[in-house]
Amino acid sequence: MVRLLTHNLLACHAKDCNTNNFPLQFKDVQLEIREADFNPEFLKGFMPKIDWKALVDTARQLGDTSLPLEQPEMVDDEFLKNLHHILLEIHVEEGSMTCPNCGHVYPISNGIPNMLLAEHEIG
Amino acid sequence: MPLRYLFHFAQVHHEFRLPELQSISELHGISYKLPNEAKDRDPRRPFMVVELESEEDARILARRCILIKAIYEFYAQGSTYEEVHEVNRQNEHLWKRYIEDTSFRFLITSSHHKIPQSRQREVIESFAYMDFRGKIDMKNPDILLMCFEEYDDKPGTTLERHEGDGKFRVVFFGRLIEEGTARQLIHKFDVKKRVYYGNTSMESEISLLMANQTLASPGKFVYDPFVGTGSMAYPTAHFGALVFGSDIDGRQMRGKQKVPGVIRAAQQYGISSHIIDLATFDITNNPWRCGELFDAIVTDPPYGVRAGAKRLGRKRELSERQRELCLQHSLSPRPDDQPYIPPTKPYELSHLAADLVLFARYLLKPGGRLVFFLPTVTDEYEEVDIYSMLCEGMEVIANSLQNFGSWGRRLVTIRKTTLKQYSPPTFEPAQPPSDEPAHIPAHKDFREKYFQGFKKSDDKTEQSSLYFVNP
Repeated sequence: MVRLLTHNLLACHAKDCNTNNFPLQFKDVQLEIREADFNPEFLKGFMPKIDWKALVDTARQLGDTSLPLEQPEMVDDEFLKNLHHILLEIHVEEGSMTCPNCGHVYPISNGIPNMLLAEHEIG
Repeated sequence: MPLRYLFHFAQVHHEFRLPELQSISELHGISYKLPNEAKDRDPRRPFMVVELESEEDARILARRCILIKAIYEFYAQGSTYEEVHEVNRQNEHLWKRYIEDTSFRFLITSSHHKIPQSRQREVIESFAYMDFRGKIDMKNPDILLMCFEEYDDKPGTTLERHEGDGKFRVVFFGRLIEEGTARQLIHKFDVKKRVYYGNTSMESEISLLMANQTLASPGKFVYDPFVGTGSMAYPTAHFGALVFGSDIDGRQMRGKQKVPGVIRAAQQYGISSHIIDLATFDITNNPWRCGELFDAIVTDPPYGVRAGAKRLGRKRELSERQRELCLQHSLSPRPDDQPYIPPTKPYELSHLAADLVLFARYLLKPGGRLVFFLPTVTDEYEEVDIYSMLCEGMEVIANSLQNFGSWGRRLVTIRKTTLKQYSPPTFEPAQPPSDEPAHIPAHKDFREKYFQGFKKSDDKTEQSSLYFVNP
């Protein structure tokens, strides 16, 4: 768990951390690859929500270079299969995510990220 | 021309029946028409004659609606058998094609009554004019003809065996099209057979009804912000949707083994790849980067009977010195197995419900649905309680009561009707306009009312002391 789809949707939300708070930086990660059902309709519907640069950068950090730097306007099956693999089949099981701005560390254990804030970080 | 079908409904959760029919029809683009007269569409009665455009639509509904036991092609109804036979003869064009060479079985049954064997034969023989020549096959007939006598339910009375036989309210007659196969899912998702559950897990039939209210289907993205042990996630994922769950308390999702409990239960049902992710956070301090992500939000918020709702924060203000100590505690390094646990405070139910609607408006795509349970005090509930928590662009489309006597819970379905984009909610208590007193819904302080047995109390001191009693 912590698929790259999820990683692409989570930003640091500590108090007053509003800029440069995304994407969170993976650290000390343990990866697992697990197959998921391919659903092109879901992927096409989800594409407008993706922060493309964050997704490509993160995928490259984890060793997958199959995505183009620019989000293509026309999509073919091969592209969708690569996108499917990156969004849904790479799971970060252990490690952490660090905010590039405030440095808050969100730990991941057994695939579940702890996104809770400390007392002094809430509004 | 629309065709008439006889729907046999399960005699449970009657207020959920029509909303479910509406939802599944909308999901599959099916148009239907209910009977004109109120007494004929009373959801407490077992049968209803509904107009559909095709037999295929009837099959789709029977395979997905949890509350449908079976759907029949409608041949006749009447308050006497004479009436039934007269209508049935007029409808000969519907059954003529089965006369020549179709094996059949003929069944007669009733609601709230037992028909004696001798009269069952009598009734079956009275249909002899249909002159079906195919063989009678009790095991694998080509068609099943069903005659159903509806008797009035007389709760609390004990009747002699066969007492009042023949004094039925109405008789229906038709041909079976499809058994309601979705009802088997109630057993498949039975909490007792699940490898992981907790004391707040939702019973399977209700969680399936909730999943149907979300219009769950392949390609949809659904979120449960109080996912707990995942009861709503499983049926929603079973219908093909992808599910995301979050909870302020990670222990409910994780359980005690390495593989989180929710994932283990999803594996049991063969749907673990549909659980997109689980995350620990408080919805009032959430990490969502943007809105308009989900097709539906489905949840059973904690309302305090088994578990009270919590949000980050502190009940009491701290002194300067205490605050400094807490800050140092949260920043100091600690071993992995003893993570920092931030303090939480109670989250009052009416505040939570209003926040949930705002949160859903932010996170739902246009046309998306929020489906959730709201507990209410039966004697105090007013319809305005639901409407007072709405906001611009969110509209109630269903509100079904599950009645437990002095209290009950309402499954509320709200649709996002606006295309407008909203900023994330602040989760601050709403400031009522000062010139008029704000409406206080009956679900406010539900937990306190529950533990007082829903008595009306003038003694305010007793009320506040009860607040801290743990169940």
